[in-house]
Amino acid sequence: MTATGPSQEPSAAHTIQEYQHGYEEERRLRGFRSGCGFVTATWGLRCPQCGQLDLQEFPLSGKGRVTAFTVQTVPADEFVNDAPYAYVLVELDEGGRISGWMPAVRAVEDLAIGDRVHWVASYKPGVQFEKDSAAAQR
Amino acid sequence: MPRETWVLGAASNRFGKMKETGREAASRVALEAIQTAGIEPKDIGYTFVANAFGLAERQAHVGPLINTALGIPEVPSCTIESACSSSSAALHEAYVHVAGGFHDAALVVGVEKLSHLDTLTATSYFAIGADYPFESHNGATFPGLYATIANAHMRRYGTQTEQLGAVAVKNHANAALNPHAHFQKPITMETYLGSPVIASPLRLYDCCPFSDGAAALVVVAAEKFPNPRTEPLVIRASTRAGSIADMHDRPELTGLPASQRASHLAFQQAKVERSQIDFMEVHDCFTIAELVALEDMGFFPRGEAGTATAEGLTARDGKLPVNPSGGLKAKGHPVSATGASQVVEIFEQFNQLAGKRQVPKTGLALAHNVGATGSSASVHIFGRR
Repeated sequence: MTATGPSQEPSAAHTIQEYQHGYEEERRLRGFRSGCGFVTATWGLRCPQCGQLDLQEFPLSGKGRVTAFTVQTVPADEFVNDAPYAYVLVELDEGGRISGWMPAVRAVEDLAIGDRVHWVASYKPGVQFEKDSAAAQR
Repeated sequence: MPRETWVLGAASNRFGKMKETGREAASRVALEAIQTAGIEPKDIGYTFVANAFGLAERQAHVGPLINTALGIPEVPSCTIESACSSSSAALHEAYVHVAGGFHDAALVVGVEKLSHLDTLTATSYFAIGADYPFESHNGATFPGLYATIANAHMRRYGTQTEQLGAVAVKNHANAALNPHAHFQKPITMETYLGSPVIASPLRLYDCCPFSDGAAALVVVAAEKFPNPRTEPLVIRASTRAGSIADMHDRPELTGLPASQRASHLAFQQAKVERSQIDFMEVHDCFTIAELVALEDMGFFPRGEAGTATAEGLTARDGKLPVNPSGGLKAKGHPVSATGASQVVEIFEQFNQLAGKRQVPKTGLALAHNVGATGSSASVHIFGRR
């Protein structure tokens, strides 16, 4: 740090690689909460909503509800053997949203907006979700 | 006060599959735009190039190559990258330079060539325009990202598949009359509905194609070129805006905040009302994007652009023609040429060069161009002298 540099190290995970290693290898999904209340699971140095340097890291449960989704028949390059699958935006129980994918959702009828889902650790890339059991949906 | 600034010349090749390299195509359209403007290459003070995926051709720093091909190697150049809004960003930079008095004439060239790549590799190039580790690495493709917007829009406003189809049918009909267009055949609603789903609810005919293409503009200070031989486009507004990059972190999924901001600023800068716009070219990389753009810019209330489109209001002979060129959807989407090509269409419309796709009124026109899923947006408003 230089004399003109930041006076405080950001509390967010310092590298994207660390963040990805967390959920892919350490079964640890991180979130970041700003003083303004904004919650994100995306790496950053300052809050994208209020600009403040007070992002506090906290563990995410990985539980939430689907807020939008699509079933992709044409996959992204890291998922060539997985199509069709769902790309989902999940409203987290702790607030904020995260994106992820659901290999078990192979048709639109398999998922609905509002469905409860949870993050699962996987050997495959990306943040992977599964649908909660029917009992848990109620 | 900024100087009055014009688009004095414009040119585009036919979008689709180019045999020649991007560098060759860019140089050819640049020379054509300069000739259209009735000026000489030596009049150019700066060249702004857009070529986001130039490395796909194993070529970076293409500006000096274009300038050398044009016989003006001493002219400075730089490459502007803003994903799908790269050449509208380049136009904005050219405007800033010319209106600000740094140069009297600037060249804007947008070019892209990806057709030599296989589909998966080309898709991967597109994916790096999104947030790779936090969107693409979680499985998103560009159709997938826009499909989540469509999913949210349908859920919230009851937008119908047939309304998305109406965008596709309209824009293919327009492109069928455009010699620059990638697709030159109209489609029916049946064809649209029968096309396979790529990312639900988006079908093949909701998606723009991978296109090669090049487009160029000549931007000049009005005071230095007092006797134009074309009908110049007076740049009444040139604005850009950004927003939170990741879609999932934005408070609202059914609109693009950058489009909202850029259009708000543009109408302020141009001092015109939305009702004064005669026609426009908007960013329709997917059919839902056209509806969202029309709502973001305030031309229709939230959730009503689909109905308006299905009722023909945005058709070439409608109350507010939208994408008379065929748009990205059917004219094609060579990423870095798209923004400039929208202005080529407006230039041809203003100069009564649009043939059968000529719109009835050409007093004021708007061009709207988006980068990625709306983390960048440009809006330009053009008028007459």
